[in-house]
Amino acid sequence: MDFSPVPRIRPALLRALPLFLLLAAASIVRAQEAPYFVTYDHHLEEPGNLELETSSTLGIPRSGQRLFFAPYSEIEYGVTGRWTAELYFEGQSTSGDSAVFTGWRLENRFRPLKREHWINPVLYLEYEGVNEASRIQKEIVGHSELSDEHNAELADTRARELETKLILSSNLHDWNLAGNFIVEKNLSASEGFEFGYSLGVSRPLAKIATGGECRWCRENFAAGVEMYGGLGGTLDLSLHDTAHYLAPVIRWQISDTSSIHFSPAVGLTHASNPVLLRFGYSYEIQAFGRKVARMFGGRP
Amino acid sequence: MRQLRIPFWLGLLIAPMVLAQNLNYQQDPAWRVPAEAAEKKNPLAEQPELAAGGKKLFTRNCVECHGKSGEGLKKAADLRLPVVQAQSDGALFWKITNGNPDRGMPSFSRLPELQRWQIVLYLRQLSVK
Repeated sequence: MDFSPVPRIRPALLRALPLFLLLAAASIVRAQEAPYFVTYDHHLEEPGNLELETSSTLGIPRSGQRLFFAPYSEIEYGVTGRWTAELYFEGQSTSGDSAVFTGWRLENRFRPLKREHWINPVLYLEYEGVNEASRIQKEIVGHSELSDEHNAELADTRARELETKLILSSNLHDWNLAGNFIVEKNLSASEGFEFGYSLGVSRPLAKIATGGECRWCRENFAAGVEMYGGLGGTLDLSLHDTAHYLAPVIRWQISDTSSIHFSPAVGLTHASNPVLLRFGYSYEIQAFGRKVARMFGGRP
Repeated sequence: MRQLRIPFWLGLLIAPMVLAQNLNYQQDPAWRVPAEAAEKKNPLAEQPELAAGGKKLFTRNCVECHGKSGEGLKKAADLRLPVVQAQSDGALFWKITNGNPDRGMPSFSRLPELQRWQIVLYLRQLSVK
């Protein structure tokens, strides 16, 4: 059986080429963002802006298990000042095994309060169409087991999942403190509800911006640490066999157009991978919605 | 028919997002600055040389809507107008920090506090050009 999605995807990519050319021609600027991979803070995408990001999770295995590489692409759009939508596509490749497309996710974040507060809540709702081969580990929930099944078998087990998060975030003297509580429900199986968490703290490395353009200035870096893991589920509300990770994170604003971020996560329990290496590259196109609206006769 | 599925679903996804854009910005009379915030003094007021950094931050974060000279594009406010420049440093800082998300102005609280004050420093230079 051929699990490769490439022959089906190629015509779609060709059709999307004009869109990507439009993106490339657009003016591209962005503000410094928190460096987290898993934790969300309360800052949403600016309205009308489009952010494209490609990230990967590289799982370093325990002895007897296999290394995996799980790339994912993310399209994030600021629908309004209080609503951000994201679409993900993800895949996975295991050493000595096949590479498979593992699914897609549609994520929405809503900010109920208009102003900045001591603690800023954001509501998160995500629908996932993924299979059991998914390894991007954008969130850790429930109990974990390190499977040694082949990708072909795992990819056959599909899951429709609904995930919600309560995001609480605060900016305190240039530090960002963020905490997420996660509830996930697999709609394809009777697994009850699964819970997870993530916590993050970060700050930019410089408080003052220099006057000149510079690539290596401290103001272009933000660093911090995040911790995330599973909290069991309604069928077994305990911490045994749950995965937990502690991860330093750093983001480097390479230019006005793009940034990269990196995080080596260390597994804290026997159910965790010993190390997860995460890296990502992103760039943002401002006023994308306005440009598209103009194409369809909208007023500037 | 199968080939039309991806563009159809992409179109369906993008259409409501485009329609949700605010293309007709008008000044919001409800965007009021609390009195204690308006009274805040700019801690960088005695260091005008830091406005150069403010200009860089302005270019990165504000130009798309407010224009290179602050003249106001996309129906965002013309920052050179007396109605803007008459506002206190604290009021401008509060507006940069909180934004007005229902009217398209994002919050820039992710920027360090002093960098937001640097932007205020630079905004003051817009009026004298």
